[in-house]
Amino acid sequence: MLRFMKYEIRGTYRYITGVLILSLILFTAIYHYVNRGSTGSLGGNLFVTLCILLLFGTALVTFLYIVGSFRKELYEDTGYLTFTLPLTGYQITASKLLVALLWFFVLGVAVTAINLVLIFAYLPLEISFGELLRQIAEMLSFKHIFVFLLDAVLSGVGLLALIYFSMALSRVTFRNRKIGGLWFAVFLILAVILGYGRYRIADLLPYSLDLGNLNDGAMTTGYATNNFIFMIKASTVKINIAGFVFSLLTAAALFLGTGYLVEMKTDL
Amino acid sequence: MSNIVEIKDLTKKYYLTTALDSISLNIESGRIVGILGPNGSGKTTLIKILTGLLRQTKGEVRIDGHPVGVYTKSIVSYLPDRNHLFKWMRIKDACNLFSDFYADFDRKKFAELLDFMALGIDMKVDTLSKGMKEKLVLALVLSRQAKLYVLDEPIAGVDPVARDQILDAIINNYNRESSMLITTHLVRDMENIFDDVMFLKEGKIVLSGNAEELREEKGKNIDEIYKEVFSG
Repeated sequence: MLRFMKYEIRGTYRYITGVLILSLILFTAIYHYVNRGSTGSLGGNLFVTLCILLLFGTALVTFLYIVGSFRKELYEDTGYLTFTLPLTGYQITASKLLVALLWFFVLGVAVTAINLVLIFAYLPLEISFGELLRQIAEMLSFKHIFVFLLDAVLSGVGLLALIYFSMALSRVTFRNRKIGGLWFAVFLILAVILGYGRYRIADLLPYSLDLGNLNDGAMTTGYATNNFIFMIKASTVKINIAGFVFSLLTAAALFLGTGYLVEMKTDL
Repeated sequence: MSNIVEIKDLTKKYYLTTALDSISLNIESGRIVGILGPNGSGKTTLIKILTGLLRQTKGEVRIDGHPVGVYTKSIVSYLPDRNHLFKWMRIKDACNLFSDFYADFDRKKFAELLDFMALGIDMKVDTLSKGMKEKLVLALVLSRQAKLYVLDEPIAGVDPVARDQILDAIINNYNRESSMLITTHLVRDMENIFDDVMFLKEGKIVLSGNAEELREEKGKNIDEIYKEVFSG
């Protein structure tokens, strides 16, 4: 599986590098313009708006490019190579999912870093970089970071598993390439069903694990956490147990379902 | 001699269309078998089932005693009827990929075959002509010491010079202890390399047997038998 991931990364890193360079240029342009302090010129506003639109466009295209790597295998000739390699459908799905997660992580970290550097380079802050990090560390505990990362990973895996499952189900159900885009309709329907299911289950079982009071062995109930799996505030870190378990189980089921469809049902 | 491929009552349907209709056959180890038939006869469907790209509707397929899966994919060397390599690759990347995934891949043999085909290791896959891509994939496929080679239309759509080069490569480089399945409708160019032939028509085997015995029995070459079978 790691070998397959290696080729996945090699096939996409140039595009990701290009996206990062473009982002760096656009962010620099925005910060540079803002730093000049000039206000109100039509050309300037147009320029900043254009840069922001380009950034949004790039983010959207990049998201579709990364998740589209799985769809390519199902519809394009490279599938003849991928699906004749001695790998199971589960290994292929897992490789695609992990590489997509890796790229989203890399892009997230890189864009954050670019912005931090540009803030310190262009904006007149009276705080040093080290001091800023120290203050952030004071505000956020390990529990906050843990829950934030857990939320990010679970959401990312759940979303990708749902997208891949929709693509695989669409491929198996509609063999016609021209209506292959129906995966998005399948995705929307499933997303609504699963979202509602999670909302209902969190509503029915409003028990939360309060990481702030773990030493007391506390398990609290409260309507404040009903609609969220995770609730992070300055003083509280709560996880809705039922919602969390539901998300875990659906992500696992979607992954296994995708692997099964690829392994047993997909005809190229 | 043992059978490398065993197929029993194999049927493949696409909704209302039957692509393969209850075919059964065994292929012995060490044989080169020609699967002959016009377009739409079921040749590619049969090959795709053997390589794990399609699932049968009914019936049983075993390769080297195993159902089609990860193991059979590791012992089957497959030449598809299209360019299946990733566009970003250079030839050396394709070589590394085959070497990483197939324990039977022989890099030295691949280098020799590239030389024979006049291809350079640093060439980009995307910039190769159709004939060059065909030669590259054939070089990759023949560089494996696989138990079963499956070649889908290996000389279709290439010029006569490349065709001869490809045929020479097949004859001189495949593993003699292995078996080879070749689909084609260009029978005249390939008939001399077949040990056995199988004629597929509308998803059914209408004639099969030892190529030499069929020639003697019918008093015709395989190309003429092909025309006789499919013109009626």
